[in-house]
Amino acid sequence: MSQPLILIIEDEASLRRFLVPALANNDYQVLTAATGADGLAMARSHNPDIILLDLGLPDLEGGKVLQSLRQWSRKPIIIISARNQEKDKVQALDLGADDYLTKPFGAEELLARIRVALRHATQAALDTPVLQCGSLRLDLERREVSMDGVPVRLTPLEYRLLEALAQRAGKVATHAQLLNEVWGPVGAGQTHYLRIYMGTLRRKIEPDATRPRYLLTEPSIGYRLNVD
Amino acid sequence: MALGSEARTLRLVHTGFRMAREQGRPWVAVHVEVPGWETPAEADQARVWLQEASELGAETAWLRAATVSEGLIEEGGRRGVAQVVMGRTRPRGPWDRLEHSRSQEAIRRSLGVRIVTLPLDPPTVRTRTVQTGADLLGVALVIAALFTALGFPGIPPVFALGVGYVAHRWGRAFSVPASLAAMAIFVTRFITDPFPFQPEDWTNGLYLAGALAMTQMVVLLVDRLHLETRLLRRREAETLLVMLLGRALGRCSTAREVALVLAERLRGLFQAQAWLLFPGEGDGWLSLPEAPEAPASPRPTDLLPQFSDAASRAEPFEPLFLGSCTYVALAGPGGAEGLLQLRLEGGRPLAQESWGLFQSLAVQSTLALERVRWLEAAQQARLDTESERMRNTLLGAVSHDLRTPLAAIQGAATSLMLPEPLPEATRLDLLAMIRDESQRLARLLSDLLDLTRLQSGAIRIQKEWQLLDEVVGAAVLRMEASNGPLPILVDLPESLPLVPLDGALMEQVLINLLGNAHRHAPQSPVELRAWEEPGAVQLEIADRGPGIPAEFHQRVFDKFFRMPRDLKDGGVGLGLAICGAIVKIHGGAIWVENRPGGGARFRISLPLEGLPPAQLETDHLPPTLKATP
Repeated sequence: MSQPLILIIEDEASLRRFLVPALANNDYQVLTAATGADGLAMARSHNPDIILLDLGLPDLEGGKVLQSLRQWSRKPIIIISARNQEKDKVQALDLGADDYLTKPFGAEELLARIRVALRHATQAALDTPVLQCGSLRLDLERREVSMDGVPVRLTPLEYRLLEALAQRAGKVATHAQLLNEVWGPVGAGQTHYLRIYMGTLRRKIEPDATRPRYLLTEPSIGYRLNVD
Repeated sequence: MALGSEARTLRLVHTGFRMAREQGRPWVAVHVEVPGWETPAEADQARVWLQEASELGAETAWLRAATVSEGLIEEGGRRGVAQVVMGRTRPRGPWDRLEHSRSQEAIRRSLGVRIVTLPLDPPTVRTRTVQTGADLLGVALVIAALFTALGFPGIPPVFALGVGYVAHRWGRAFSVPASLAAMAIFVTRFITDPFPFQPEDWTNGLYLAGALAMTQMVVLLVDRLHLETRLLRRREAETLLVMLLGRALGRCSTAREVALVLAERLRGLFQAQAWLLFPGEGDGWLSLPEAPEAPASPRPTDLLPQFSDAASRAEPFEPLFLGSCTYVALAGPGGAEGLLQLRLEGGRPLAQESWGLFQSLAVQSTLALERVRWLEAAQQARLDTESERMRNTLLGAVSHDLRTPLAAIQGAATSLMLPEPLPEATRLDLLAMIRDESQRLARLLSDLLDLTRLQSGAIRIQKEWQLLDEVVGAAVLRMEASNGPLPILVDLPESLPLVPLDGALMEQVLINLLGNAHRHAPQSPVELRAWEEPGAVQLEIADRGPGIPAEFHQRVFDKFFRMPRDLKDGGVGLGLAICGAIVKIHGGAIWVENRPGGGARFRISLPLEGLPPAQLETDHLPPTLKATP
């Protein structure tokens, strides 16, 4: 895939002014839309490889745009939102957004998120069963976890949690998504289950549990398995 | 202390209070309810006295017993009292006196205590009685002298006195049979010649008519005396009630309290329920107390015009009676404060004799309401001044702290745009400066917003049961992401319980505290520890920096406060204020101490409130599931 196409749906001109050259300079083709309606139309006509969507659009609620997009597209969508919009972010992620960026953000952070999202999209297609990040190796097919080649023994729930994070490697997974995938419907709302298991998982995987390197916390939102 | 239900009882209460204070002892006020002896009105009145006593520091008791002395003996024995103070009205005859001393003797013997009896008859009434008695005697003597001068014996005045006494003692109705009996005795005993009584004898007829007229005159005088005494007593009781109400209202600081005091006192006074109607927020009217609910009334705004100035000044003042309730406007110089709604038992109107009292209570209530309103206004004014001062400080601090990074960004950007190419190193330096200063601006703005929202209550805390490890980990990671690896030593025992906290907010607290510690002691490690205490988890962040002088231990948590030595470090003095606000909405406490061996030590105590979440399903390492084959 040479020169992936990025659609930016963002109403603030100054932000577009910063995003367009930054992305174009990094070998992306860029399209912009200033309203939700325009964005939806351009998404249909151009079928971009990745979409950056601002949650605070003047004409349509970000959530609505997201829902419409998700009805027909599985392409990665990254949410751009202001601080203190945690609820909206979680909602958007639960509705199928892949990741989020909080304003203000730097160009490096933006590029890193885009890379992860695109890689994930291609990886999902390849269906790689082995995930290697740093010393951590996770073989989803053989259900094996090891650190620097040393096997790590996990309980079934711990493994299921790590697996759920690995399926979104590099991207954020919300509390609700993880609870649903690991505990099923009984887990709904029981975030403390998640916190306790994340605690034990960290003690087994992280060299220093208070400075997590792999299992990162996204406050009020969820967790992220760091693959960098 | 034994309390009766008469208005004079207040003197007994006050005497009891004085004696207890002089002797430095606790005291108990007791009302003995003897079934069938008091009306509900008197019982309500007695409750008012008991309340007065309890406000003066007495324990109070309400007893039911067959006789007063029985009740007192039982209660006195239970509490082991040392002294009994009883009020006593003038004995009404020898039997009453005997009864009094018998019951006193019984109490003395049973409890083995001293009894103090306090005469309760108001002195004013006694002098009046004596004076009227003297008047009567004078009239009787004059008449006797007149009769003697006319050649009749001076006996009739003595009878007249007797009849007068009967009227005084048992009322006017008894005076008629008494005067007839007196006449019968007089006719049969003293008119011996001629006998039997000859009606044709005009002197005898005159004699009898004179005697009858005289007795009736005496009876009339006595009757008036009674009426006046009654009125006097009632006025005394009313004055007392108005005074007590005034005092109770004086302690109220909100309209709600005024309404409660009024409802309570008016229940005791008129055996009626009372409500205060006054304007609330917006157009609505409030009716207090809420329970019991006030009966439906016309809109207060429709009622108020009926209390025109002239109407409320009319003599006698007439309250408005509508439906089943009596109303009076509470109108002060500042306009109408509200309405007082009174519902007497059975929904009857207020008796005319109580109108005056009702009005004076309304005046008292108006004053109380006005006072409350001014109090609120004064408080609001103080708050306004305070927030105005805050705003000025904020503007001053913000304008300076916003301008500095903006100036740097503008300067760097314009330098980069100069036509002369800059050396690569300078160019990169300016770009880094733009990045750093914009980050500083962003931080300052978010701090300001956070604090404003925290203090205005706009941030809703979302407590969840969490492991401290995770919050600490997130904070440390975020700090190291922007500063590189930091010497932070974390010591969190694995046995720490889950703590109910808002992760995002508490992370902010930790970042601020760790950041401060690191800034003041960049070379030495910052130590973060936590441990469990009964009902709380304690967190400690300790550094080896210069420490904080004791006089600033409180003030460092104030907005925009900066210690003199930190004035140049680029901070604005919001970090610790934010920490304080966040810990406060968690229901916890934050403080700073000097660390033994030098440095500062911040402590946070977070309450472990509520039930910890339910146990998880069991999840073991299964022997079959090996991580490696």
